[in-house]
Amino acid sequence: MSDVIVIGAGPAGLAGAIASASNGLSVTVLDEFIKPGGRLLGQLHQEPSGEWWNGMKESERLFLEANNLSVDIRCGVSVYNLEKDENLWNVHTNIGTLTARYVLVATGAAEYPVPVPGWTLPGVMSIGAAQVMTNVHRVQVGKKGIIIGANILSFAILNELQLAGINVDRIILPEKNSISGKAGEPEEVLKTLLHAAHLAPSPLMRFGSHFMKNNWLRKMAIHFYPKSGMKVNGTPLQLRIAAVEIVGKEQVEGVKVANTDAAGQVIPGTEVLYEADFVCIAGGLYPLAELAAVAGCPFEYIPELGGHVPCHSETMETPLGGLFVAGNITGIESGKISMAQGTIAGIAIANHAGKVSSTIDQQLQQAVQQVRSVREQATIQFNPEIDKGRSKMKEIWETKFAPLDKEYSHKKIV
Amino acid sequence: MNRILDHPILGKITDRKTIPFQYDGTTYEAYKHETIAAALLANGVRKLRVHEESGTPRGIYCNIGHCMECRVTVNGQANVRACLTVVENDMVVESGKQLPNIVKRMVEQG
Amino acid sequence: MINMENMVICRCEEVTYGELLSTAKEHKCTARELKLRTRAGMGFCGGRTCRVSVDKIIENTVPNASAGDILLKYQPPVRPVTFGSVGENQ
Repeated sequence: MSDVIVIGAGPAGLAGAIASASNGLSVTVLDEFIKPGGRLLGQLHQEPSGEWWNGMKESERLFLEANNLSVDIRCGVSVYNLEKDENLWNVHTNIGTLTARYVLVATGAAEYPVPVPGWTLPGVMSIGAAQVMTNVHRVQVGKKGIIIGANILSFAILNELQLAGINVDRIILPEKNSISGKAGEPEEVLKTLLHAAHLAPSPLMRFGSHFMKNNWLRKMAIHFYPKSGMKVNGTPLQLRIAAVEIVGKEQVEGVKVANTDAAGQVIPGTEVLYEADFVCIAGGLYPLAELAAVAGCPFEYIPELGGHVPCHSETMETPLGGLFVAGNITGIESGKISMAQGTIAGIAIANHAGKVSSTIDQQLQQAVQQVRSVREQATIQFNPEIDKGRSKMKEIWETKFAPLDKEYSHKKIV
Repeated sequence: MNRILDHPILGKITDRKTIPFQYDGTTYEAYKHETIAAALLANGVRKLRVHEESGTPRGIYCNIGHCMECRVTVNGQANVRACLTVVENDMVVESGKQLPNIVKRMVEQG
Repeated sequence: MINMENMVICRCEEVTYGELLSTAKEHKCTARELKLRTRAGMGFCGGRTCRVSVDKIIENTVPNASAGDILLKYQPPVRPVTFGSVGENQ
């Protein structure tokens, strides 16, 4: 039996495992995928400094470090339930039930689906699927593709597909309906993109940010937005074109699209068919928190963090004794933040386990500080109001759970 | 589909060994350590199953084990996720088929 | 809104947008009840792909149901398991 079971071998889980193991705990890491790294594996982008953020290399580095600390990493293991029995957590998996006093849930994020008529056809995939196929498996997802959904995630992966020599024909919006919501409204999409403009790598976005913050100008811009789109890295971004239906018999053959007005309403009679052999649906990410939920962890709905997130302190503990969280399960941010949060969780677990070295308080403080400074320097921010979201959670923790936590710590010492 | 053997940042793939496997009676080549989903796509195969009741074609959707759309039968075991399962030498993979009665089949497989 | 009625929301059980919307309008129900009535989210993936969409339909159709109020309700198993492996672990 290990002291700690980490669920998820992504940046948060591996960093957490490393921090716990460095402080003398035995750690087992479980992951469903064929190799460790999580979403980090597929990430590849150029920093403003010109350096490349190579997720594959980062994953290897974390894996080697964990390995050197004798962390037991098991891939291909699915966790289907998590429950506490007295002082031990039972982690139910397809290879049996594992137990530990401490569990770090670092399950990351899932992609928002954006249903489009015809989206069940082979060749239609989430944009994350295309990222993994391209950068992890090194197989081209197709010859000519269309991305449905314009957001930071789709821009980042567009760039990765282009690097791998894959032709992305255009980026269009989903048709506006009660599920696609703002993602189908050209003006709202432009607003969101411009929010992130100063961070975006694309020259178009940087250009746009100078004068488009003004409401009136933005309205005019979307009103006169060219039908052919503006180019992002050579691929037309068509904010006034909506995907009406994905067509094909046995697999994708094309996308039927229509022109829309500035609010996203389809203009009848404007339908045309664009040929394509693959389609990526980009709806963005939300925290994948189902295991924390079945464990009985309290949740809060915080839109700035991406939706429902398990309640947690700044040191990544949840109200449930021995259960910690880190990474995108706590809010959608970059892999670097996930790593920094994982480090906090790993040290906090060691602290709870009584592995008190003279430096542990200092380590913990430094780790919390590290998250803040990484966030300040972030080049990609999924939600421009992330700070607001983090503050909300901090306040909720301090008012609702911190007093309980003191009681709990007190008991623990006895 | 083409494999991305030479990537400007991720570099070249030169040393991978190939192994044979079967999909619906046809023999294909996979790279060692790659998933069934990746190997089939590299061979131009997108369709992995049909919906049990309606028979509509399906392929990978999420590619990381969340959506269950890519489930296939592997060496006789049904409902295996092609996106999370690594191809082995001479593995026999079959696509998911339309079923006459799904409830009955699920009970049988349990 | 050309093909919206027949658009599949729950891929596993092939429940359409039209079916979900009319059921939500008729019963003014919770997301959970909508799932039970239509089988959306009750298929192989356990609602992983469609739950967000189903919640949004409720949020937009049923008065007073806001995103924050929709309970985050999950039940194990969160991954499909064979009856055999659950039995062994109990």
